[in-house]
Amino acid sequence: MFFRFDIEARSRVAGRLIGGVRRELLKAITEEKRAGLSQQELARRLESERSNINRQLSGEAEITLRSLADLAWALGREITVELRRPDSAAGQNIGPTTSTIGYQPVRIIAPKTSND
Amino acid sequence: MTTIADLVNSGAIVKIDVDLAPREQPLRLLYGTPQFIAWLREILGGAQAPRLLGYTSITEQIDDLFYSFLSGQQLIFTKQFRVVRAEDNAVWELKTPDVRIFGWFMARDCFVAVYGNWADTIKDHDLYRGYRIAIRRLRRELGIDTTLCVRGRAPEDVLSVRH
Repeated sequence: MFFRFDIEARSRVAGRLIGGVRRELLKAITEEKRAGLSQQELARRLESERSNINRQLSGEAEITLRSLADLAWALGREITVELRRPDSAAGQNIGPTTSTIGYQPVRIIAPKTSND
Repeated sequence: MTTIADLVNSGAIVKIDVDLAPREQPLRLLYGTPQFIAWLREILGGAQAPRLLGYTSITEQIDDLFYSFLSGQQLIFTKQFRVVRAEDNAVWELKTPDVRIFGWFMARDCFVAVYGNWADTIKDHDLYRGYRIAIRRLRRELGIDTTLCVRGRAPEDVLSVRH
């Protein structure tokens, strides 16, 4: 038996994109911190308040494309953007197609038993 | 000696998954207690934090957390996960802007979620100690010894990083 946390596809795409961008920024900042960059210095380079940057990195404020570009610049990183069609090739996992209707009742999916 | 299969077969824990892209495979394991699954049902049913801190919705935050965990991505230590108290067989916390999830690692890359709650509520009422004690008690009740609990307290003890 397993439980699938299944949310609407549109919402899923948005949440994972925004979360992914945030993770990439946090990874880059963690690496730069190890190399000696302080958050204060980062704020100075961006001519911004530390609290504003913190709110963006914590997920409490929107990261606009402009602020993403600014952060990448301040961290000395390149940004890669690609929109591609979902892959379909031999040997790949074929994911189950699940509901894309928002916030439906949760489905508990259990293997069939001999009584079914 | 209790095994993961014993816990699953008895219904003590339930495997949790999310949709992955066709080119992705689950690289970690995520389980939840029935109580935690019930909390997830409430979330999917529309339960909202008293005050929403995050820029994305609660369900989006949790889906992204589960997705990044299960797909083997690097989670950022202290920002997305942390040890509640640095001790052997520790209780760990997974984090989103609005949600905190408490549980333990049965093995590296294998987490059992026991409690979920709003970040604000946990901070306001300082629930960390209570959850930590409750999870340690649950492990004892389930007969879980050190073989089903990561002893180390460093991030690399509980999560591997995909390169």
